[in-house]
Amino acid sequence: MLLIPHARRLGLQFLTKQEGTLIIEMPYNPELEIIPDSGIMANGAITALLDTALGAAVYEQFEVYRRIVTLDLRVDYFEKPSPFSSVIIKARCLKMKDHIVFVQGDVYCKDSELQIAHGIAVFSYADVEKIS
Amino acid sequence: MIFDFLTTLKDSQEFDQSLDISPYAKMMGFRLRRQDEQLTTVMKFHSDLIGSPFPPALHGGTVAALMEMAALTQLFWDKNFGIIPKAIDITVDYLRAGQPEDAFARARVFRRGRRFATLHAKAWQSDPKKPIASAMLHFQLQD
Repeated sequence: MLLIPHARRLGLQFLTKQEGTLIIEMPYNPELEIIPDSGIMANGAITALLDTALGAAVYEQFEVYRRIVTLDLRVDYFEKPSPFSSVIIKARCLKMKDHIVFVQGDVYCKDSELQIAHGIAVFSYADVEKIS
Repeated sequence: MIFDFLTTLKDSQEFDQSLDISPYAKMMGFRLRRQDEQLTTVMKFHSDLIGSPFPPALHGGTVAALMEMAALTQLFWDKNFGIIPKAIDITVDYLRAGQPEDAFARARVFRRGRRFATLHAKAWQSDPKKPIASAMLHFQLQD
């Protein structure tokens, strides 16, 4: 996570891995508000959190580093995040076949059970490059 | 707020305005431009937008956020609703890797009814004929 400059800028923190599900936190940060002092983090930041976590769920499938590309990403916004609340994402791989990886993630307010968003994405990946 | 601010721009035929009054827009380096009667949202490149360092490429989430901003500003530009349209969903197609340089996005209101709006957005960099991503977005226009 720390190697990805934008993830670092968003303050993303890897929390844990439970049975193949990655849990990542985006702490509340006033810089992520669209409307100042609203306490509500921008949808764009939620989307970037999803994109990062879903990519991480893809990397999780490999034993060696491979380059990945995102083919598509779909985000459903269920609720606004609660004001001043950190959010967490639970991301997991659904299926990997023929160089295509399907992943999904659920985003929650950290301090409540409130689910605020859901995302699915499809990635592809390169074969491991031989170093000659 | 940000939308009152947009209203003040409506009389200008051409402008290139930072959106720094919004903390998130400031962090992302978003600007709003109007030229030839068209509204373009700009994401000024800076190193915090990188998603993959080797080779450097824009983070996919930043490109999605840029198109989302373009859609929201376009929706407001066409008609002031008095409330902030609520995003329902976004579907992004990633077409090319984003280069470490400025990116642009424009959105078209595909259909706007009384309660919902559907927009299509496109993002590009140095060559407008080579989009790096496109998106379809739905907004709810009333509570």
